[in-house]
Amino acid sequence: MRHLQRKVWSLVIVALAGVMLLSGCGFPGLNNSSTGTVRIASMSTTESQIMAEMLKDLIEHDTNYKATIVSNLGSGNVTFNAQKRNDADLSAVRYTGTDLESIMGKKIDRSRTQAQTDAYVHQYFKKHYHMTYFPSYGFADTYAWMVTKDYAKKNHVNTVSDLKSHASQMKVGIDPIWENRHGDGYADFKRTYGFSFGDLYPMQIGLVYEALSQGRMDAVLGYSTDGRIKSYNLKVLKDNKNFFPPYNCSVVANDAALKQYPQLKKTLRKLNGKISLNTMQKLNYEVDNNLEEPATVAKRYLHQHNYFEGGR
Amino acid sequence: MSQLNIWQQLLYYFEHNGLYVLSQFNRHFLISIYGVLFAAIVGIPIGILIARNRHLSGWVIGIANVIQTIPSLAMLSVLMLGLGLGVNTVIVTVFLYALLPIIKNTYTGMLNVNADVLDAGKGMGMTRLEVLRYIELPLSLSVIMAGIRNALVLAIGITAIGSFVGAGGLGDIIIRGTNATNGGAIILAGALPTALMAIVSDAVLGWLQKLFDPSARRNHAQGAEE
Repeated sequence: MRHLQRKVWSLVIVALAGVMLLSGCGFPGLNNSSTGTVRIASMSTTESQIMAEMLKDLIEHDTNYKATIVSNLGSGNVTFNAQKRNDADLSAVRYTGTDLESIMGKKIDRSRTQAQTDAYVHQYFKKHYHMTYFPSYGFADTYAWMVTKDYAKKNHVNTVSDLKSHASQMKVGIDPIWENRHGDGYADFKRTYGFSFGDLYPMQIGLVYEALSQGRMDAVLGYSTDGRIKSYNLKVLKDNKNFFPPYNCSVVANDAALKQYPQLKKTLRKLNGKISLNTMQKLNYEVDNNLEEPATVAKRYLHQHNYFEGGR
Repeated sequence: MSQLNIWQQLLYYFEHNGLYVLSQFNRHFLISIYGVLFAAIVGIPIGILIARNRHLSGWVIGIANVIQTIPSLAMLSVLMLGLGLGVNTVIVTVFLYALLPIIKNTYTGMLNVNADVLDAGKGMGMTRLEVLRYIELPLSLSVIMAGIRNALVLAIGITAIGSFVGAGGLGDIIIRGTNATNGGAIILAGALPTALMAIVSDAVLGWLQKLFDPSARRNHAQGAEE
C-alpha cells in the first residue's frame, strides 16, 4: 500500500510538472510567450491601448515576428516591472516625466529644459535598466486643470491662478495617483500656487470629464490628450506657473529584446514624431466617445496613413 | 452617440468592431479549452487511480476542494508571481479549477459501474486494463463528460477574469466598457458573447454526454432492432 501511495504521488507531481512545462511552450492560436513573439505591455488607458495596437499591427506587417499585447496593466509602474521581469519586451507608452518621478525616484528639476529632462531620463534608462527610450511619438501628455466653458465665463477664469479666489469652495475631481505624488503632486501644487481646494474627490481618471460636464465637480484634473475635452467642450486652464511638466510619450523597449529581434528597431522608429497632440486627441475621442475599439481605430489610422502599403 | 439607446449602440459597436470581438472570442475560447484539456489529461487518470485505491480518494478530492475554495482573483495573482503576466497564468488557473469537477466525476463514474458487470468481465479472463478499457470507461464516460462540461463552463467564467493579468479575451472588452464614458453597450458587447459561449458549450457537451450515456444507447439499439 505504502509503495502504491508513493507511486500515486509521484504521478501527480510528474503530471503537474508536465503541465507547468507545457505552459512554458506556445499554445497554437494564442500568440503567447513562445519565441518569435514580441510582447507589448499596455496600460488600461485608451491612449496606451491605441498605441499598443498600432505597434502590434506594424510589427506583424513589417517583420516576420508575431506580436501580442499584455493589456490592462494598472500603471506605468506595472508595465515597467513587466519589462524588468521579462514578462514583456516593450511598453507601448511611457512618459518621461512620470518615469523620472515614479520609476527613477528623482524630483523634477524645473531649471532644466524639456529636452534636457528627456535626455536625462533616456540615458538613465539605458544605463540602469538596459532599456531603450525611443524618440517621442510627437505628443506630450500632461495633467491639466479644466472647467466647463460656462464656469470659466461666469467666474472669469482663464489660468490656474485665477482659481485662487474660488478654490476654498470648489469641489474638484482628481486622479487618485496625483494626490500623493512627489514632485508634481498635490502638496507641491499647493506650495507653488499658494492655495488649496475645498473638497478633493479622487476618482478613476476616465470619470472626471463626465463628472465635470454634468456639473458634479467645479473643476477637474485630467489628461491633456483626452478626446473628451473636445466632446464635452471643456476649457483647459493655462498652467501659468508651468507647474506640470509636459510628459513626452515614447515607446520603450528592453535592450535584450532589440537584440533578440533585430528588425524591431526600425519598425518601432516608424511612428516617432508622427502623432501630434491633435491626432492623439482625435484618436482618443474616437475610442472614448464613438464606441470603437482601440484595435479598430489603430488599424484605420495606419491604413489612412499608408503604413500598410508595400511589402516587408 | 448618446442619442442612440443601448441596443442601438450595441449594434453599432458590433458593426464597427466585429472582427475584434471575433478574435477575442476565439482567444477566450482557446484559453478555456486548453486549461480544461490539461485538466482532463491529468484529472481522469487521477480519478481512475483513486477509484482503484479508495483510501486515497479523501486526500485527493480534499486537495482539489481546497483549490476550489481559493478566490479566482487571488489564485491568478499568486500564480502571476511565479509564471508572470500573460496567458500562461490564466491557463494554469483554469487547469487548477477544472481539476475538481473532472476528478470527482471520474471517481463517481468509476464507482457506479455495476459490480456484477465487473465480475463478469473478470470471469471472462479480462486483464485489469481490459476491464478498464471495455467496461469501466465506456460505462462511466457520460459521468466523466458531465464533469468536463461543468469544468468548461467554470473555465469560461474564470478566463474573463484573466484579463486582469493581461491575457486578453472577452474580459478585455468588459474592462474597457467600465473605463469608457457611457460604456454600458461595450460591457454588454463583452458580457453577452461570454454568456453565449458558456451556454452553447454547455449545450454541446450536454448533447455529447447524452450520446455517451450507456442506458440511452441501449434504448437506441433496442429501438433499431424493433
